[in-house]
Amino acid sequence: MSLVRKIFAASLALCMLVGTAAASEIFDPQTKTWVRYDPSRAIRYYQAHGGVPADFRRQVVNFRTAEKPGTIIIDGNRHFLYFVLPGFQAIRYGIGVGREGFGWAGIVNVGRKVEWPTWTPPAEMVARDPKAAKYAGGMPGGPDNPLGARALYLFEGNLDTIYRIHGTTEPWSIGLDISSGCIRMNNDDVIDLYNRVEVGAKVIVLMQGAALYRGV
Amino acid sequence: MLLRCLAAGALSAALCTPALSATIVVGQPDWPSAQVTAHIIADVLQERLGVEVRLRPVGTIELMGGIDRGEIDVHPEVWLPNGEEIVREYRDVRHSLTLSPISVAAEQHVCTTRETSEATGLKALKDLSKPEIAAAFDTDSDGLGEIWIGARTWSSTRIERVRAKSYGYDATMMLLTMPEDQALASVDAAVATGAPIVFYCYTPHYIYALHDIVTLEEPAYDPNAWKIVTAEQDPAWLSLSKAETAWEPSRYHVGYATSLKQDQPKVAAFLDRIKITEEDAVAMSYAVHVDGRSPEEIAATWVKDNGDRIEEWVK
Repeated sequence: MSLVRKIFAASLALCMLVGTAAASEIFDPQTKTWVRYDPSRAIRYYQAHGGVPADFRRQVVNFRTAEKPGTIIIDGNRHFLYFVLPGFQAIRYGIGVGREGFGWAGIVNVGRKVEWPTWTPPAEMVARDPKAAKYAGGMPGGPDNPLGARALYLFEGNLDTIYRIHGTTEPWSIGLDISSGCIRMNNDDVIDLYNRVEVGAKVIVLMQGAALYRGV
Repeated sequence: MLLRCLAAGALSAALCTPALSATIVVGQPDWPSAQVTAHIIADVLQERLGVEVRLRPVGTIELMGGIDRGEIDVHPEVWLPNGEEIVREYRDVRHSLTLSPISVAAEQHVCTTRETSEATGLKALKDLSKPEIAAAFDTDSDGLGEIWIGARTWSSTRIERVRAKSYGYDATMMLLTMPEDQALASVDAAVATGAPIVFYCYTPHYIYALHDIVTLEEPAYDPNAWKIVTAEQDPAWLSLSKAETAWEPSRYHVGYATSLKQDQPKVAAFLDRIKITEEDAVAMSYAVHVDGRSPEEIAATWVKDNGDRIEEWVK
């Protein structure tokens, strides 16, 4: 298998939807401390409230930065994605990030934007899982597609990095480190971001938290 | 320079082509004030002295090597003492590099935000060697805190590695190297969430205007506590080096190929007279990063607004 094909296969594997999740933290406004936020708590919270904790909901925040409006800054540690606005503000979205598959950080750009992207399971998954096998040729975009409503393909220069910002079918997983890679957002949020961001926009993935986990 | 390029063979001759036609190659390192100054130099050389100029983006250590090899003519900001050993070799032994007699005062430290200092008790650089303090900066749960020590290509970054070893926080902190904009976006994100952050910092720089920054305390500079061996001198440079106090008050100069004194005396005289102030450098840094203007455009405006000063430099 050529290196490129290996990378391609790896990229598909990274974007798989199912996996174990590790604990992260959310800010508790009552105690003003960061408290543990794990998958079981996340699912219970989602069922009880019909959404993720307030921290991870889309909101405009103060954000003093030297980066230009239109830039995306991804804080994998706090599970936030910032879309920089003028006047030292940003739109902050909650994200889910990979645990074992997220061992990267850097400065990339939005190379391509796709609505309702096709998801193609990797060959290993097709061989192992009959449910995946039926999508060996690619699962069309739609509500059950693990890439969700939109995908932003992250490029380094003109080359696809294999990483994507995409939607999800598991909205409760926002705010967690999920063992598959990529950067996942609720479908409403990824549609909102998709409509704002331009192809070519600078994307800074901070070198901290899940970005430092060794994996892949 | 002409002879050296011809002797270098077909491959490097291609690189040297501009020098054959007396083009001045101005190196452009990747920090903001150096980028703007490179454009100002290029602009004045072209418009006032009628010299062909090419800008070449290049890391600072490679840039000095390029001057020594005759591939690059000008370095907009040679930082001292960071590049001391390399400068000594090229300037004093090989006589390939000349530094302008004029310098800009600079400082280098390790910084944190005021909020971090108040929340964690981090006041002095040596505090980072305490595991309980370092733990506040551990975002990936590997038992080590994280600190940005500079970009991979900077001459200061190796020395920050030596400082980490000398102060002992190489055992408690993961030393991260990455581009400056990525590192400073981490500072922005930390400020936005009140998260602790610690990082290499230098003046002149816009970051002091953007955030409430605290410099970590250190013993005053003592030359006896510093010994820097470069990687070029010895592969065991890290274990042979020490830097147990604050940085020596720093400065930077325009550097250029000594051969210009003979080949292009007017150019050399201009480079010797350039005087960029600390205020200029802060304004350049802020304009590049916070105002989001291009170094080329900032330089063009600066040249237009500072005609009198430039007149002094080129007369």
